[in-house]
Amino acid sequence: MRRLEKGFLPWMALALGLLGYLAFGQYTLPEGPGKDLVLGKCQTCHDIGFVARERLSRDRWDGIIDEMVLRGLKLTSEERGAILDYLATYLGTEPPPAPPQVQASPAPKTGAQVYTNCAGCHGPQGEGNPPNFPPLKGHVASLLGAEGGRSYLLLAVLYGVQGTIRIGGKEYGGLMPGFSWLSDEEIALVLNHLAEWGAPKDFKAYTPDEVKAARAKGLTPEEVLKLRQGLKLP
Amino acid sequence: MQNLNRRTTLKLMGMGAALLAAGGRGWAQQAPTADQLVKGKHPKLIVLSQRPVVMETPYDLLVSQPEKTPKEILFIRNNVDLPGYNTVEGASAQGWKVEIGGLVDKPFSFEVSELFALPQAEVTMVLQCSGNGRTLYDPRPSGNPWQRGGVGNVTFRGVRLKDFLAAKGVKPSEKALFITAHASRQGNAPEFVRSVPIHALEHALLALSMNGEPLPAVHGGPVRLVFPGYFGVNNVKWVEKIEFTEGENTTAEQVPRYRVPVIPNTHLPFLPQEPGQRYPYNLQNSRPNWLVTLNSLIFAPLEGQTVEGPYVRVEGVAFNDGIVPIVSVEVSTNGGRTWHQAQLATQGKTFAWVRWRATLYLRPGQHEIMARAWDAAGRSQPLDGNIAWNERGYEYSGVMRVKFTVA
Repeated sequence: MRRLEKGFLPWMALALGLLGYLAFGQYTLPEGPGKDLVLGKCQTCHDIGFVARERLSRDRWDGIIDEMVLRGLKLTSEERGAILDYLATYLGTEPPPAPPQVQASPAPKTGAQVYTNCAGCHGPQGEGNPPNFPPLKGHVASLLGAEGGRSYLLLAVLYGVQGTIRIGGKEYGGLMPGFSWLSDEEIALVLNHLAEWGAPKDFKAYTPDEVKAARAKGLTPEEVLKLRQGLKLP
Repeated sequence: MQNLNRRTTLKLMGMGAALLAAGGRGWAQQAPTADQLVKGKHPKLIVLSQRPVVMETPYDLLVSQPEKTPKEILFIRNNVDLPGYNTVEGASAQGWKVEIGGLVDKPFSFEVSELFALPQAEVTMVLQCSGNGRTLYDPRPSGNPWQRGGVGNVTFRGVRLKDFLAAKGVKPSEKALFITAHASRQGNAPEFVRSVPIHALEHALLALSMNGEPLPAVHGGPVRLVFPGYFGVNNVKWVEKIEFTEGENTTAEQVPRYRVPVIPNTHLPFLPQEPGQRYPYNLQNSRPNWLVTLNSLIFAPLEGQTVEGPYVRVEGVAFNDGIVPIVSVEVSTNGGRTWHQAQLATQGKTFAWVRWRATLYLRPGQHEIMARAWDAAGRSQPLDGNIAWNERGYEYSGVMRVKFTVA
């Protein structure tokens, strides 16, 4: 037993660590107060991976925030404090405190929770943020109403969209990144969440299998834009 | 491994578990591959970021093309993405205007399409991200986790900026000490500005093609202002404005990013830092990542490989800023006690990498080989690369070590 403990535990520990590392390859932030604020502020300009993969001292994170302010990040002092606390605690040089939920089966996610990935750019209520990020409320309803729009919406979330689009006479030029790192379930959840803000009567809820099938297409964000240009939108 | 005590083990497990909890959802989900993000890229490129696009050439792919790095596998470090430019195909020059201004007697602008009719010059050069090798620093600095694959050897062709100015009858003023280039902001791209010393005008190229093909859009097409001998960041992609200026620009790309600490006006290449500490970067107490640091890479054998003995062919490349020739590359198999001269494929100054090789007599078993280059200015590489530790992890040039087995 002692032998087993000596030989086995370190490997086990490493395997766990490696698994953790692989998980991080998908660039998600640890749960903790301030996470949504970080997602919202940072993802506007870049991949969350730039943040999630770092392990820095509080002092160094403070410097990174300075750098981002130089590059156009706008923060109130409260927001700045909350972001720095989150980064220094959960992405610091010490292992973060144990995550709050340790039950065997974590509570099922809701579409609203997955939507926090989108809120940074599209707004908490899908109101949009011109001239870069289009509104979702209202616009998603017209997408779902158009022929081919349902499938386009899924592909846009999965692969992103690159290029300027026009909605209601306004141009939006921000880059929509793909969210293929979300699970099939999560993508279906968030799409159905968007549909709650308005969808045609005959709307059929998205299913994880549908998302899975869409992954086989392997589109570029430019190709997704072309699909959008082919839609007949009001 | 047996020496790991219980505490360390628990700590490691804790970290693993915490990381799992943190990123556990969907770790088996497929992240987009390089070819999905940028049309025409090799699917095996390592995606460091999707937005802006950053991808590294896996080392085995890099060494598989020791002469020239093809566009399909060349690394990408975008600070800014232009919508629609994520492809290795060329970009249309139609309607692309570039402005030349600042401290010149006659500011003017021109259409890129007019450059194609002018005399063309060619330069083969190392294009390297100044963060290449960052993961070899300890503790790991912030930034994209480059291993060794943020580098390539490519041929740019285009119009020499100096000749072009002369043909237009335009002269920079004597007060112009820097060339400051701005990337296009089309599609609401954030600004990207970078300054290099006026000395760089000597070889500056308005590049229109790469490796004999239209300059890939993702690498700066239709026009990139290329400064041979300078780190990647200085070679501004999608250039739309070139200014001659008295000072360096002061956007974040120039300070505090892309700099290393120095004592001003000394010849110490960098001021060593206590690893992990911060530094108050300003224009005086630090220098930009300009000239490519002397470096050498071992292309064969590869780490972990088993090779036939007892005669073992060792090869690789070496490069510097092209200001003086590389005069020797030496290899050691005993931790640096003795060194053997390798043969250089070419002599003389060059911005390209120089291939080298050596044949060693090695007994069966495990070996570790080191390679170190020297140039005519007496510059060489530190045995311990961590001496250059800096908080953003730039300009790693420590001697490379490769462990392999002789059968």
